[in-house]
Amino acid sequence: MVQLHNVFMSYQRDVAALNGINLTIPKGDFVFITGVSGAGKSTLLKLLYGALQPSRGQVVVDGQNVTRLSRAQIPYLRRNIGVVFQDFKLLPNRTVLENVAITLEVLGWGKKDIGKKVYHILKQLGLEHKINSTPLRLSGGEQQRVALARALVNDPKILLADEPTGNLDEENKEQILAIFKEANIRGTTVLVATHDRRLTENCHRRMVVLEKGQVVEDSDVPQ
Amino acid sequence: MSRNKPAKRPRLTNEGFLGRLNFFFARALINIRQNIFIHLVTIGTIAIALLIISLFLLVYVNLEGAADVWSNRVQVTAYFERELNQQEITTLKTGILALSGTDKVAYVAREEAVKRFRARLKGQESLLDGVTADVLPASIEINLKSGSRSSEAIEAYVVRLKKIPGISEVQYGEEWVKRFTAFMNFMRLVGALLGGFLLLAVVFIVSNTIKLTIYARKDELELLSLVGATRFFIKAPFLIEGIFQGALGALLSLLVLTACYFGFLHNAGNFVSFNPASVGLSFLPVTHLAGVFFGGVCLGFLGSLTSLKRFINV
Ligand SMILES: Nc1ncnc2c1ncn2[C@@H]1O[C@H](COP(=O)(O)OP(=O)(O)O)[C@@H](O)[C@H]1O
Ligand SMILES: [Mg+2]
Repeated sequence: MVQLHNVFMSYQRDVAALNGINLTIPKGDFVFITGVSGAGKSTLLKLLYGALQPSRGQVVVDGQNVTRLSRAQIPYLRRNIGVVFQDFKLLPNRTVLENVAITLEVLGWGKKDIGKKVYHILKQLGLEHKINSTPLRLSGGEQQRVALARALVNDPKILLADEPTGNLDEENKEQILAIFKEANIRGTTVLVATHDRRLTENCHRRMVVLEKGQVVEDSDVPQ
Repeated sequence: MSRNKPAKRPRLTNEGFLGRLNFFFARALINIRQNIFIHLVTIGTIAIALLIISLFLLVYVNLEGAADVWSNRVQVTAYFERELNQQEITTLKTGILALSGTDKVAYVAREEAVKRFRARLKGQESLLDGVTADVLPASIEINLKSGSRSSEAIEAYVVRLKKIPGISEVQYGEEWVKRFTAFMNFMRLVGALLGGFLLLAVVFIVSNTIKLTIYARKDELELLSLVGATRFFIKAPFLIEGIFQGALGALLSLLVLTACYFGFLHNAGNFVSFNPASVGLSFLPVTHLAGVFFGGVCLGFLGSLTSLKRFINV
């Protein structure tokens, strides 16, 4: 589902954020990308949904070579990828319903179908009673779940989550992790970038460790 | 929990051009409601900007109108040594009327000329004692159409006029016409410069206001792009909002302009009791009003379009 071949990426000259990454993630996998802050986790995720282009190397997502996509093709790639951003990117002047609906509006869904589908996903995430609140009235954990709902509402092939448990307490972390697992069971390939070692310890999944833009450990590959 | 199946996706009720358009309009309306303050600021800016432009137009149109009235004084006169008979007058009149640029032609007989002379010297008629009709020449007076009153046009006209058999001596207020033409050219130049400057300022201010308002919503633009919206999908509601802002701003400015104009007439009328038509005052013609409205719509649309270019490359 995701393949990176010899990927280099630098924001400034001579400072490599990613330094020759090779990685293959098959369909239906659940992978943690870990490493200390600044290791290049967020950069790697951004390459996958076309927010950044690598300086060198190839990035293949869902059978498409992201580096070769035109600007007009990128949106169609993104429709198959649900992203949970580190800063959530919820629109403060819209309700929870409207925030989650955006994903489906972009796909051209009708209003009724959107209403049903959004309600359904919010119910799954235990947020249906907040459907008409605005994001600023929600707790951190609730905002995180709204962001998740927006990423998952169209059953994406891939889910990318950047530090999804950043400031959450243990209970909320468990809840979020459970949602990831459920999405994974339903067939979504899940990539979670986190520097939170505790999260990965409780959850036995494939783990890719980044350090200074390189893969230094991959639990999938026999050491 | 079922596994993902492509068949699960419902039909796309917003598919098709009309469905899309419907969605974009609805979206634009919701956006306006949710960002009402921003929209009011933009509409207000456009209204003020267009009000300045249309006030300028109003003044300009009235000056042009006044100039047109003055230029009625431009008259070409052909003089004749002797009185003409009816047949000659008719032939000449027909020939002159056939020239392009001729508006009115009138024959002034010697008797008539003396009468006019007397009228002008009212109170000092004694000066005219002994003056008989023979002293003054007969003449044909020609009024020109308003497009042919510049000094170049008159010169060309006179050349053609002199080709008519029987006409030799032609006069017109050459100096006056020259000065008047120069004045009009100057006025038009100043008008064009001032108008151009105003227009630039207006475009600058409005486009920057729109840019700021779109900047305030750049998170929305970015997010739409990140969830896979095409650029057209992101832009369309904003462009509709821009057109809406432009149209509303223009209507507002025309409303205020109308109120200003008739308020002015009303108040001025109380003082000097005059009739606007008699002083040559007029409101903007419909074409100009339509132009201001269309200009507002363009301003809103193009302002949004160019501002969006800046932000949609996320
Ligand atoms: N927008 C940016 N401009 C310049 N440098 C950046 C930018 N984003 C990240 N970096 C640098 O790239 C490196 C990797 O960053 P990042 O991918 O955000 O790491 P992580 O997500 O693992 O904390 C860091 O050294 C960081 O300073
Ligand atoms: Mg990061």
